[in-house]
Amino acid sequence: MQTLAVVLALLALAPFLWLLLMSFKTNAEIFRFPPRLLFDATLANYAALWTSEFRNSFGNSLIVSVASTVLSLVIGVPAAYALSRWTGRGGGTITLWILASRMAPPIAFTIPYFLVYRHLELLDTLTGLIVIYLTFNLSLVIWMMRPFYDQLPRSLEEAAWIDGATMWQGFYRIILPLSGPGLAATAILCFLFAWNDFFFALILTRTEAMTAPVAVVNFMNYEGWEWGRIAAGGTMIMLPVLVFSFVVRRYLVHGLTGGALKG
Amino acid sequence: MAPSLAVLALITLLPALYLLATSFTQLSLTRPETQWDFSQPLESYRQLLSDSRLHNSVWVQIKLSFWTVLLQLLIGLLLALLLNMRSRLIEALRTVFLIPMVLPPIVVAIIWKVIYTPDISPMHGIFRSVGWNVPALITDPNWALTSIIIADTWEWFPFTMLMVLAALQMMPQELLDAAKVDGASPWQLTRHITLPFIRGVLLVAGLFRLIDSIKAFPLIFILTDGGPGNLTEVTNYYSYLQAFNFSFLGFSSAITVALLAATIALSWLIVRLVGWGSRVD
Repeated sequence: MQTLAVVLALLALAPFLWLLLMSFKTNAEIFRFPPRLLFDATLANYAALWTSEFRNSFGNSLIVSVASTVLSLVIGVPAAYALSRWTGRGGGTITLWILASRMAPPIAFTIPYFLVYRHLELLDTLTGLIVIYLTFNLSLVIWMMRPFYDQLPRSLEEAAWIDGATMWQGFYRIILPLSGPGLAATAILCFLFAWNDFFFALILTRTEAMTAPVAVVNFMNYEGWEWGRIAAGGTMIMLPVLVFSFVVRRYLVHGLTGGALKG
Repeated sequence: MAPSLAVLALITLLPALYLLATSFTQLSLTRPETQWDFSQPLESYRQLLSDSRLHNSVWVQIKLSFWTVLLQLLIGLLLALLLNMRSRLIEALRTVFLIPMVLPPIVVAIIWKVIYTPDISPMHGIFRSVGWNVPALITDPNWALTSIIIADTWEWFPFTMLMVLAALQMMPQELLDAAKVDGASPWQLTRHITLPFIRGVLLVAGLFRLIDSIKAFPLIFILTDGGPGNLTEVTNYYSYLQAFNFSFLGFSSAITVALLAATIALSWLIVRLVGWGSRVD
């Protein structure tokens, strides 16, 4: 059984490992078949990338992802807490709204944002991307953190209120410090979703605010087929993702399905 | 705390309304006067009914969704059953199997572009060395959609696997123990106890994948660009072409409204199934 599992894992990972190896190969080596197991690894592809415009795009990706994450948390965490304590009607409708925002096809937001950004001159700006990334990340925060707050007993903040704390003080002094691990996992997932975006950046940026995923694709379209650089670019994009995903792997189900399953 | 919800409304509900309004115009970026021209509000929707390229895209979408969801559920389920044991090696493997799902979609697309490009593909290399003459799959009419389905299944089978594994860990052990005492075989255990227990999870996982399959974009954009012909042009992709290649934002909005409606309906189904909103504290 275990052998079978190992074999299947290797098989499933082979395409991914191939790309990883490719990023260290020279062009001649890439076209060689059967491949040599021990080839002379080169960092030339990475070096070529780092001296090109790709470096700016990589920076853009970082800025946009971090900013969108921070904004989503600042706006979304209080909302998640408020919804968790919501006792009125309409809870189901709000849940549907948040889920649908998360699941909507990107083009549904891209068309109106594109039209509005043309007038606000936000096309091809980092600000424009940060705002549109809120459409999915804000929903994600609310939906990751709400079940978390559902589990915290109300008596916690009620005790604080009796001692004369305001609602906000109760939230910031009592509830927020208890949210640590959930917050960290949510922040990482927000970062990943923003970092992984391709569609919004493809439509809403041109040159100035271009993010790394779009920049890599441009290697395919405009500069001929430079497989080594494409592989190196892909590897650089996936590196932070792999590291962070490993850290939050226990929260992945939750983040992708919004607690449809408590796992 | 209402301000937070107001922000969410501002960035999601308002654009959705704007999209709906645009779908009642025939906005074309090459003709600025078409913006806010509501003189023929239903024209774009009438076009939906008569555009055969759109109808083709819906059919492609159905084929893509059906096969990817089915294969992902099947492979994910089998792997979860295989990996549902406590050992250090298996737990490490579980993490390894998650990699395709967490990779940036664009990287997944690049990986498969490499595999489907005969010059540099290890797969084609193997085919050649055993004497098979296999055409480039993504440009072959018989194989283009299948090659997208394979890549998409590879990317997302871990999702079902992860959800089923999580459900399996919540399974009451007493139930299994009791059946074992009664002499049930491993197959009977799986068939009569495990499968009924995870049926709900499979359904929810399938629905999530179904909604996501409507959004399929990077794979198609990188691998086939909708071709050859329109064989891999799903509705979402066609809508993208109409809006951002042909500049017909009005018509594209009408298509997108239909896609959005489908998304909301499926999301509603999930909310009902999971029982959110009817929580009893």
